[in-house]
Amino acid sequence: MSLIPWRKKEGNGGSLATVSPSMTRLRDEVESLFSRFANDPWGWGGLETGLTAWPRSFRADMAESDDEVIVTLELPGVDSKDLDINVSGQTLTVRGEKREDREEKERSYHYVERQFGSFHRSIPLPASVDADKVDASFKNGVLTIRLGKRPEARPKKIPVIT
Amino acid sequence: MMAIATERCQPNCCDTDSMMGQTGTFAPIVDILEKENEWLLRADLPGATAETIDLRYERGLMVIRASVPARQDEKETRYLVREYGVGDFHRAFEVGEGIDASRIEAAFKDGVLTLHLPKAEEIRPRKISVQCDRN
Repeated sequence: MSLIPWRKKEGNGGSLATVSPSMTRLRDEVESLFSRFANDPWGWGGLETGLTAWPRSFRADMAESDDEVIVTLELPGVDSKDLDINVSGQTLTVRGEKREDREEKERSYHYVERQFGSFHRSIPLPASVDADKVDASFKNGVLTIRLGKRPEARPKKIPVIT
Repeated sequence: MMAIATERCQPNCCDTDSMMGQTGTFAPIVDILEKENEWLLRADLPGATAETIDLRYERGLMVIRASVPARQDEKETRYLVREYGVGDFHRAFEVGEGIDASRIEAAFKDGVLTLHLPKAEEIRPRKISVQCDRN
């Protein structure tokens, strides 16, 4: 959802190129905040974020199948050793740190878009899960956490008796 | 002399955030650093693999593409929350002709592409010594 109509691009490139990076970032944060209120029926975005929108690097998706809840986070550049994943009740907590790879601080940067630092997300789960059936894998910068639902949380097919 | 920090915006080059929660093509976020003898570009390409990354340098234009498979089988699962979109990556930079194309190197680890673009010999900075004129 876009609240600000000039965000739309017309033709090649549109107007974005003329907006300074800091303005773009501010606009994204404001817009993300609005869309969070408008698009967040699960209410999980407001718990931990405060006023700062998550940088793209720490965002999460959540999907479910009949048997599982699947949470994926894009964490490019994070070392799997720096990840800490916990399940407590119906809350999944992911902590981690993206360590800075900018060792050459004195050199001249032309683009600085990537962000570093530690993050901590508590994600309410839509169903009760079995903490023994949680499986996490980290591949190519994508963390995938599969949480097996408890039998009582799985959908039941109800036969119609005629 | 060299305009690496110029982005070539193409019609299908999308803002990283504008297609949040959808599929499509995304511009990866990058850091670009100039060192004495090379340009160093780091791009976040989560979900890509070394085999799916396509890097091309031609007439001063460095093009980064990567195809990213869907993360969920939507026949089996349904999305509850989508904070980011999953799709292919594409971004192009005008790096000028001052690159030694034969020595461009790239590595991919944990979703981060590191691209070394060595400067051609003729544009490297040189220390010029001053001759002392002794009369």
